[in-house]
This record gives sequence, structure tokens and C-alpha cells, in this order.
Amino acid sequence: MDIKATLASQIYSQTRAVAKPVPQDPAQPTAGQAFEAAAGDFLATLRESEATVAAGLAGRADPQAVVEALAATELAVETAVAVRDKVVEAYQEILRMPV
Amino acid sequence: MNEMMRTMAASASGMAAQAARIRLGSENIANADTPGYHRKTVSFEQAFDAARDARAVVTGPVQLDRNELARTYDPTNPLAGKDGYVEGSDVDLLVEIADAREANRSYEANLKMFDQARQMASSLLDLIRR
Repeated sequence: MDIKATLASQIYSQTRAVAKPVPQDPAQPTAGQAFEAAAGDFLATLRESEATVAAGLAGRADPQAVVEALAATELAVETAVAVRDKVVEAYQEILRMPV
Repeated sequence: MNEMMRTMAASASGMAAQAARIRLGSENIANADTPGYHRKTVSFEQAFDAARDARAVVTGPVQLDRNELARTYDPTNPLAGKDGYVEGSDVDLLVEIADAREANRSYEANLKMFDQARQMASSLLDLIRR
């Protein structure tokens, strides 16, 4: 197969246009901001339920509220762990890529 | 706050309302022999929990039943009136037990819904965990 140097340089110059980063729409949150918001929500849920459980153990909150807070915490932690596992898995998949 | 969380908040409020109801029932039974005691009743009201964006149920103000008190003729009793009648309480044990049983069933129903929502959210997460 005959690959000409001019053809190669032409294709290479085309890839640059494709790989150029697209300017981000400032109204749309970036992936980093979305992750930050999700982590903030997770932390808020954890803090809220911690306060509820502490109040429940001290006898200031009813047991239903304690169980509800614990269930919310369980779901939040499960979600966080599942997402983290997926992220780590994707990272390992990239590392295993034959170069 | 997603739908599952709202479901669990509503179920928890239902359980709290039934707990308040059964507390009043046990107070009524405890005072069944108290002279002049009117049984306490409570109404359930729909409420909107703005902090958690959830529709819930709350117990309304506690009200006293306006039934006639049970009157027994006992002139030797120190609490007897001028006509010799003693006023007891208007608590009917049968009504209280039936009310407690109904509160128990409603509590169980709310608990089932709570568990159902939790299991649904949990099994959804199982999908991405594989």
C-alpha cells in the first residue's frame, strides 16, 4: 500500500480540526460541576440523617424519622459506591488498553 | 429529593400519625376507670412538607369525645353527686381495642410501602452495579 507523505499530512491536519475542544456553553454545567453538585447533595443527605439519628438516640426524634433518615443514607451511600465502582472500572479499562 | 424519597417520607409520616393515634388509645384505656374522663380522639389532616417537598399526613388537634359519661348509683362513694350518682369515664374498651387494631393495620400498610420504595430504589441501583 502506497502512503504518500502529502496525503498523510493532509489527514493529520484534518484530525486537528476534529480534536479541537468545543467551547463550553456557560449556561450548561460542566461534568466537574455536576459531580460537585452530586457530591454536595450526598454530603448534605449524610449530615442531615446523622443529625436525625443523633436526635433519635437522645429521644428528641421519633423512630420513624430515624429509620427514614437511615434508609436515605443507605440509598445515598449505595449510589455513591456504585458510581465510584463504575468510574474505577472505566479507568482500569483505559489502563488495560493496548498501546 | 426523588420520588422514592418522597414515598418514604410520606410513609414515615403515616407511621408517625398511627403512632400518635395508638398513644391516645392507650391513654384512653389507662384512664378507663378515671372518674369524669372523656376519651381523646384525633383527626388526620393532609399536610405539605415544604422542606422535603413531600405530601404527608399529620395529626390534627386532640379533641375530647362528647359522649355521656357512664353514671352508676353509689351514694357511699365520696365522689357521688347530690343525687347519689357517680360519673365514670366514657371509655369503651371494645372501641379502643378495635381502634388500636386498625391503627396497627394502617401502620403495617405504611411500613410495607416504605419497604417497597426502598427495595425498588435498591434494585434499580443493582443494575449499574453488575
